[in-house]
Amino acid sequence: MPDNAVSRYLKRVRSRWQKSPSWARTIALLAALLIVPFIPFFDEPWLRVFFLVGLYVMLGLGLNVVVGFAGLLDLGYVAFFAVGAYTLAIFSSASSPLDLSINFWLVLPLAMIVGATAGLLLGFPVLPLRGDYLAIVTLGFGEIVRVLIVNMDNVTAGAQGISAISTPSLAFRHVDNPTSWYYFIVLAAALVAFCTTRLGDSRVGRAWEAIREDEDVAAAMGINTIKYKLMAFASGAAIGAVGGVLYASQFSFVNPSAFTLQISVNVLALVIIGGMGSTTGIIVGAFILVGLPDILQFRETADLLGRLEFLRSGVNHLIDGLNALSPWDLGALPAADTWGTEIADKRFIIFGALLVAIMVLRPAGLFPSKRRELEFENPGVEAPQPIGAV
Amino acid sequence: MPSLFLTSTSFWVDQFVNGLTTGSLYALIALGYTMVYGVLQMINFAHGEVFMLGSFGGFYALTWMGGNDIGGPMTIVAILIALLVAMAVSGATSVALERIAYRPLRNAPRLAPLISAIGASIFLQYLVLDRTDSEARFYPKIFPDGRFGTGAFQIEYIQLFLIGCSLLMMLVLYLIIQRTKVGRAIRAVAESPSNASLMGVDVNRTIVYVFILGAAMAGVAGVLHGLFFQTIRGSMGFLPGIKAFTAAVLGGIGSIPGAVAGGFILGLAETVGRELLNEVPGVNLPNQWRDVIAFSLLVLILLFRPTGIFGEKVTKRA
Repeated sequence: MPDNAVSRYLKRVRSRWQKSPSWARTIALLAALLIVPFIPFFDEPWLRVFFLVGLYVMLGLGLNVVVGFAGLLDLGYVAFFAVGAYTLAIFSSASSPLDLSINFWLVLPLAMIVGATAGLLLGFPVLPLRGDYLAIVTLGFGEIVRVLIVNMDNVTAGAQGISAISTPSLAFRHVDNPTSWYYFIVLAAALVAFCTTRLGDSRVGRAWEAIREDEDVAAAMGINTIKYKLMAFASGAAIGAVGGVLYASQFSFVNPSAFTLQISVNVLALVIIGGMGSTTGIIVGAFILVGLPDILQFRETADLLGRLEFLRSGVNHLIDGLNALSPWDLGALPAADTWGTEIADKRFIIFGALLVAIMVLRPAGLFPSKRRELEFENPGVEAPQPIGAV
Repeated sequence: MPSLFLTSTSFWVDQFVNGLTTGSLYALIALGYTMVYGVLQMINFAHGEVFMLGSFGGFYALTWMGGNDIGGPMTIVAILIALLVAMAVSGATSVALERIAYRPLRNAPRLAPLISAIGASIFLQYLVLDRTDSEARFYPKIFPDGRFGTGAFQIEYIQLFLIGCSLLMMLVLYLIIQRTKVGRAIRAVAESPSNASLMGVDVNRTIVYVFILGAAMAGVAGVLHGLFFQTIRGSMGFLPGIKAFTAAVLGGIGSIPGAVAGGFILGLAETVGRELLNEVPGVNLPNQWRDVIAFSLLVLILLFRPTGIFGEKVTKRA
């Protein structure tokens, strides 16, 4: 880095940031997040995207309890999300088959309980399983919940879904526009982040870590592995259910087609790509995986990319030249202002490749938690015996 | 509600044949899971996608050979070529997967190869969805219609072909594993990779053979699936993939006869089993419930007999 005034200033800011206590950093971060709606550039579409990012941060934090802390690979996380969303829809909407119209704030804890119960229900049969078996069973669980929602139409209204879901009021204000939803999700995600960090640093968190590292040793040390694994499932599920409640309330409509495996994959991918066990990683992961694809489709992005038109014509000339030599038609690049949409369309292809690349090249994720980083660099003795070391 | 005795025999024969048809597809795919598990103790999560790519390979081969215009004695040749192309496509995919996504992670913590496999699966599935604009493709209808047998005991020609072809492939695989040098190497590596390498077996190469053999079975299953169900799409690998995995667990993962038995049992449970449950008064399970049946079966086996029918106790080791 060149040694000029600007870089020195940046360096000082950075070291100041790293040296300041964590509560100060948290407050600074929250303050920055709360200012965002006042910046005119971030209009309503942006705030909607940020809501989605916040929602996925919450889901990521919840799944992180199960996958990152306790090391239980859960591919059916969408089930708890769906359970939360449907609990709110069924109990709070006047258009649900039950027609109860209960207040949002009363349904929220109920949804957490229902979600945690679903977590326990999934947890019990899969407790003796490890690793890959767990992954497949949880995946099946996610699918079963969806089929149940479609078929229990006397409660869930089946494939047609439930609309007119109630929204919360907070501090005498009704949460019903993008700005208020933005604040709501920032507060909710911050609260969840606080809880999961504290949980991770607690006695429970250390027990989870011990189980993740070596279940038999953990059991020998007197940790009740069954109890703690169930706790991980239940708390992860409760957070997922809260995410579902907020989703259902904000969109005011749920139907089964929203709760597909893709959500589980998205959440898992953002936890892993960001870095398992790390809150920063999850926020960055959610922004890249959930926010970016939407932002890429914005008009502003298209306009910005449109300025790269010269690049396209250059590359297309090159392709034309290669076409003359190659037996196949190599096609041509589409117009520059559609690049954002093109990339957004192909996001799952990119996610898949990213997951493989991260596992092969940087298994601890982009922003690993300190301990994870050490772990992946020194797998230690518990690593499986090398196969094919010829 | 028809009772068991009032329902015609032909209904149950049809259900049984349908069960055998899906069962043989599950069995073919399950072989790939079980063989890879046998040597690497990992679940090749992308195996469903290998099946899907095989199906597409066969589809493009058939289309290239004339699609619906294929007829007469050429039909069987065309199907044979499609099967070979599918095996090649699946095999190449599987080898690439092993090389790129699995081999670098052989000594990594156990979640790493699994996540890598999930990533590869998503990548392949959405790549094909993107290339096909998320639309279905339709296999040319070249197999002659008609049924074989008399009275209540009838079977469609295509189902007879599908089941026969699957059984033949399983026999070939069995002979390769039991009678050839490659098969002996595979068995040795499954027993103990380090001992096998001490005995002069090239473990890496043997693992590649395992992937190729498993993928070839999946490729054949892909073409048979296409010929029978006609519709193929980029997302078709997911459900048969998990179900075949269920079949492999049912039979005892790591065991080749177990995968075959598990496949047929699962196929029958989804069809005959569901209809039998429907005979119970007050139970009405529409067709979507077959997936729930399969997954519940998986949970139940893992709960009560994690070793499967033929397997050793491995769920803890995974």
